[in-house]
Amino acid sequence: LGNMAYSVSAVVVVVLVIVAVVGYLVDRSG
Amino acid sequence: MPSITAVNLAHLHLLLNHVPTVGSVVAVGVLLLGLLRRNEGLKHAALEALFAIAVVTLPVYLSGIAAQQLLREQPGISEDAMRLHHDVALAGFTVMEFAGFVAWVALWQSRRRARAAPGLVAAVTLLSVMALALMARAATLGGEIRHPEIRSELSAGAAEGAGEPQRFLTTRIGMYMVDSPWAWPAAEAVHFLGFSLSFGVLLAVNLRILGVMRQVAFADVHRLLPWGMLGFGVNLVTGMLFFIGQPRQYIDSAPFYWKVVFLMIAGANFLYLTVFKKGWADRLESSLPDKAMAVTSLFAWLAVLYAGRMLPFIGHAF
Repeated sequence: LGNMAYSVSAVVVVVLVIVAVVGYLVDRSG
Repeated sequence: MPSITAVNLAHLHLLLNHVPTVGSVVAVGVLLLGLLRRNEGLKHAALEALFAIAVVTLPVYLSGIAAQQLLREQPGISEDAMRLHHDVALAGFTVMEFAGFVAWVALWQSRRRARAAPGLVAAVTLLSVMALALMARAATLGGEIRHPEIRSELSAGAAEGAGEPQRFLTTRIGMYMVDSPWAWPAAEAVHFLGFSLSFGVLLAVNLRILGVMRQVAFADVHRLLPWGMLGFGVNLVTGMLFFIGQPRQYIDSAPFYWKVVFLMIAGANFLYLTVFKKGWADRLESSLPDKAMAVTSLFAWLAVLYAGRMLPFIGHAF
């Protein structure tokens, strides 16, 4: 369970970072 | 035993599968015409059409997997031919969704600048031509499933390999989603965050149209839309992963149907919110059609949320 929790958290953080970067770039472009 | 709904979905696939191919030929044609004539109206129409095609491509893909589950039980159908069709269709679907997303960003930008950015229009043109090429290949491979008489040597060779389904990318993705201890829960967590992002932004935008926060200019609320669209994109990816992993728990599930139907309505609303003219300049009052649109959008998203949450209870997903 410990490893699973780390993997899930890592995926969530990575996706949120990608969304933040893409969102920032799109927002700045408009 | 195949259910009635699965039969209908297979039929729906045969009807809808022409939209991404024929539709994008027309949309790319209009886009090129707009570029040649330097006509912003034509470019806008093409971008809007491409976004709409990207939305409709979702049920094309989903109903395709339903058809695959159904045909699997019939004699004379090559499982490998279906898996190969599925692989190419997933590639076409992915590029099509990218094209739709970039087309949407171009529309969102041009709301402010009155002109779509040339770089984005070029990117949309390139992506939609790529999507069209992949969709044409997927369509050919799909036709060959039922019509071995048109099967070329090339695709017959590519589809060979009975007994090793792991050779196909979509099969590997599906197996990984089910076998990995963390992939499913991670996708669920991300799916929930994506929904919060999407619904949160659309709630703010639609409430503004309905008359809440009047002191905020609509043009400012409009700036939030890309974040909502990103949440939508995140959910498209994670939702697809669930569906590829466990198609059987969705294809004959009533709440799943409703979810997809309301997603289509929500997608149309998103386009309307991006490009609508009325209310944009008016700081105070939106027109009645705009308000009706806002109510429809909120209702559609709540319905998507409800149907999704009920998948394990009214339906039989875990």
